[in-house]
Amino acid sequence: MKIKIIALMAMLLLLASVGWGQEEAAIDSTVQEVIPPGPPLNLKAFDKPYDNGHAIDLTWDLSVDDGAGRNNIIEYRLMRADSPEGPFVERKKLEMGKTEAEDKGVKEPDDPNYFPREHDFYYKVVAVTADAEAESEVVGPVRGIGQWYNAGKNPVAVAVVLFTVFTIYFIFKAKKGAELYIRPLAGIDAVDEAIGRATEMGKPILYVLGLGTAADIATIASFTILSRVAQKVAEYQTSLIVPCYDPIVMTIAQETVKASYYSAGRPDAYNQDSVFFVTNQQFAYVGGVNGIMLRDRPATNFYLGKFYAESLIMAETGAVAGSIQIAGTDEVTQIPFFVVACDYTLIGEELYAASAYLGREPVLLGTLKAQDYAKALVIICCIIGFIAASFGWTWFVEQFHVGN
Amino acid sequence: MRKGPIIITAAVALFFVISWIIKSGGAPEGSSSYDAIAEGFWLTFAAFLTLAILSFLYKDNPFYKFAEHLYVGVSAAYWMSLGFWTTLVANLFPRISMTLSEWFQVEFISYQYHFWVPPILGVLLLMRLSPKGGWLSRWALAFIVGTTAGLNLPRFLRSDFIEQISSTMLPILVNWQGFGDFFTNFSLSASGQFVSIVSNFLVVLGVLCGIIYFFFSKEHKGAFGAASRFGIWVLMVTFGASFGYTVMGRISLLVGRLTFLLDDWLGIISG
Amino acid sequence: MTNIGVIISMVFIFGGLLAIMIYSLRGKDIDRRIIFLFVFISVATSVIFNVEFKEYPTVIVKKVFDKIESLPPGSKVLISFDFDPAMKPEVFPMANAFVRHCLVKGHKIYLMTIWATGQALMNETVETVIKEEFPDAVYGEDYVTLGFKAGGVGVLNVIITDFRKMYPTDEHGTSLDSIPLFAEVKSAKDLDLVLPIGGGQPGPKEWILFIGDPGDVPIAPGLAAVVAPLIYPYYPKQAIGLLGGVKGAAEYESLLRQVYPQFQDVPAPALRMMGPQTMAHIVIMAFIVIGNITYFRSRRRGAE
Repeated sequence: MKIKIIALMAMLLLLASVGWGQEEAAIDSTVQEVIPPGPPLNLKAFDKPYDNGHAIDLTWDLSVDDGAGRNNIIEYRLMRADSPEGPFVERKKLEMGKTEAEDKGVKEPDDPNYFPREHDFYYKVVAVTADAEAESEVVGPVRGIGQWYNAGKNPVAVAVVLFTVFTIYFIFKAKKGAELYIRPLAGIDAVDEAIGRATEMGKPILYVLGLGTAADIATIASFTILSRVAQKVAEYQTSLIVPCYDPIVMTIAQETVKASYYSAGRPDAYNQDSVFFVTNQQFAYVGGVNGIMLRDRPATNFYLGKFYAESLIMAETGAVAGSIQIAGTDEVTQIPFFVVACDYTLIGEELYAASAYLGREPVLLGTLKAQDYAKALVIICCIIGFIAASFGWTWFVEQFHVGN
Repeated sequence: MRKGPIIITAAVALFFVISWIIKSGGAPEGSSSYDAIAEGFWLTFAAFLTLAILSFLYKDNPFYKFAEHLYVGVSAAYWMSLGFWTTLVANLFPRISMTLSEWFQVEFISYQYHFWVPPILGVLLLMRLSPKGGWLSRWALAFIVGTTAGLNLPRFLRSDFIEQISSTMLPILVNWQGFGDFFTNFSLSASGQFVSIVSNFLVVLGVLCGIIYFFFSKEHKGAFGAASRFGIWVLMVTFGASFGYTVMGRISLLVGRLTFLLDDWLGIISG
Repeated sequence: MTNIGVIISMVFIFGGLLAIMIYSLRGKDIDRRIIFLFVFISVATSVIFNVEFKEYPTVIVKKVFDKIESLPPGSKVLISFDFDPAMKPEVFPMANAFVRHCLVKGHKIYLMTIWATGQALMNETVETVIKEEFPDAVYGEDYVTLGFKAGGVGVLNVIITDFRKMYPTDEHGTSLDSIPLFAEVKSAKDLDLVLPIGGGQPGPKEWILFIGDPGDVPIAPGLAAVVAPLIYPYYPKQAIGLLGGVKGAAEYESLLRQVYPQFQDVPAPALRMMGPQTMAHIVIMAFIVIGNITYFRSRRRGAE
């Protein structure tokens, strides 16, 4: 019995203590004060290095309540002012856990997001919870200064430097007489064959330089090939017809053909009228060239250079006339027409390669080699990038992002 | 003179006049008779020029030649006058001369002396026509070539080179959640996972093999040769697509012209 | 009547093709004018009898549509008319569809051109689409026409930093500072979307190179078919989507009709063109097949 009474009293005491405790807790929750979070510490602001001067970088240490302590930080707010006293304007909101930010604006003064260069700014970072805020110390003055080099455009600079180095190196190498290998191209082998065929048939060879000017790379490449063709023509004593669209191109073509006849030892066989001006009206020129094809029935037609809408009209007429046709252009939209209507087509860069292969000109050879090395680099980068992207290694892929 | 061409020319002229008379009667209400006659003439003339150009498909003829020469002449004059009004009058005069601005009735902006540089370069360019001063045109040309190269190089390197390399760095496994998920959600839709995986793989393979085809420093033998052959196939597919698109474009133009002839001119389209 | 016409022309076209195949298999050459004639008949009959097919939008076109759909009303969209009358049948329907879509979504549109020949076509869109179909659209508040400026890519190079340096006024001579649409727009970087339409040079490619990439502005070009394959490599990173030729335009028009039934009765020229287009393509494909069969047959005979 005594034990029961003691147990009962103990239980009552326990209940009372629990009830009292609950009452106290209830009182506590009604009078609880809003406790601000720990402020971000150690705020530092400095000019963003290697940019155009319209940005400031900031770093700070996390608030003690971010990821630890009460762990109730929702976000940080980056505030900026022209003087330490303010007024501060919010520039950015950042997620919890962030310890760095970039305050970047544009250089145009009328723009709402204008960020003046070399202007003193003061910064503070505010840690925000659901119901309270805590400000860091104000830092400043700090000013954005433009550097000579903008690191955002690094990839472009690297590409320019690498390609320039390759080009200069290989041009020098070619000039010193180093043997730079270029693989044989199907179209080039066909050139000799086609000249041979024309000789056998006793028919002329038609060489069209296209609609480009003397400044176009495709036309320049075409001159080198014309030189080779003219030399063979002089050796085999076949006749050559070169109708021109541009008067300057015509003058250069005449010189090229003449030089080839000289170097073949047949200056007597050179006829200046074989290289002549037709007109510089696109379709009138086509009409003229088509007329030659149908009247003179050349055994071989070369279309090497810059071509536009006239490509198919000429190549089709040549096919109807039964000539062997070799074409080459860097105009991507015209290549399909040449592919369908000609026997051999030098696609895009192959035209330059053919020219370098035949001419052995150091500048052309060096540039071609440099391009090959650049291509090899591109292939390697693409393969690594492909693997990196597949495994989610974003760092490598990001290196190819060009900033503004 | 042979009779044939005279009869054909007379017939074409007769058709032209008949069409002009008929089309002049169909002008909208409220327009004056002069407007109606003018409208009828221009509509008939446009139809005549269209047919004249299309007649080349049969064979070369004087009507085609007339239309072609008219086109060349009109477009040369149009571009020349347009160049004068939009470049010299609109951009240059308001910055170099108040008198010229008033004369051409454009608002004078302000004297900007560096705007004298373009007309000077323009005059230098025209020196090409002079037998003795032709060399002076090279200065202007050098300026054009230099500035164009300078302006374009960084842009092209960025957009056509770096960004294109970056666009080729595609993940092979798109949204990969495991084989189970792949097979349960398998779909052949264009935006589905399977098609994305295949297209990413083809893009990467196509780019690599395409570049290998244009690699001139190594003979295309063995695996390298196989990649190069695949590259040329990719190029041929591209040319095929380009050819197809061109055919589509040309047919669209034909449809546009025929719609004009059959609807606007002859008015025989149903619906 | 229409159906009978279609049936008669189909019989004529396919009967003719069969006859040509038999003829060419006998080793005889076909005059090229026969091919022209067949293409002409297939296009003309489809135009006369208004042959139409249903269009199913492709992903690349739908992305452009979805982008305009997803922009909040009041977004700033620039449409550039960089084409001439020769390209008009292909790309003009795109321009009109873009304008309709933007205005029905409540976007603000800025119309301009870097092709002299584009100005008249731009004004045609203003007169026939904006003023007729959207009479409530206010000039300066809902749309503005900047017109043509000479200079090609030079124009783009300037507007990426400042519109006012290249266009002190709009097409009508009103200062940009007094046009509400330009209150918040200083340069092309302030635009939410750019829709360059064209196919020549300068054209959509230059918009990507000179505006899209350096300015981080989304670009969705409308392209003449000839250049469409050249712009494909820029998709999806540098161009969010694209419309290639009349097919792209037709897909866009059909999407617009699906989502906005009020456009059921407005003209859809691209959709209308797809009938003749398809018929011409069938004829051309038939000729390619006939040509190849004949070629391989003659080669085999030659080998024997």
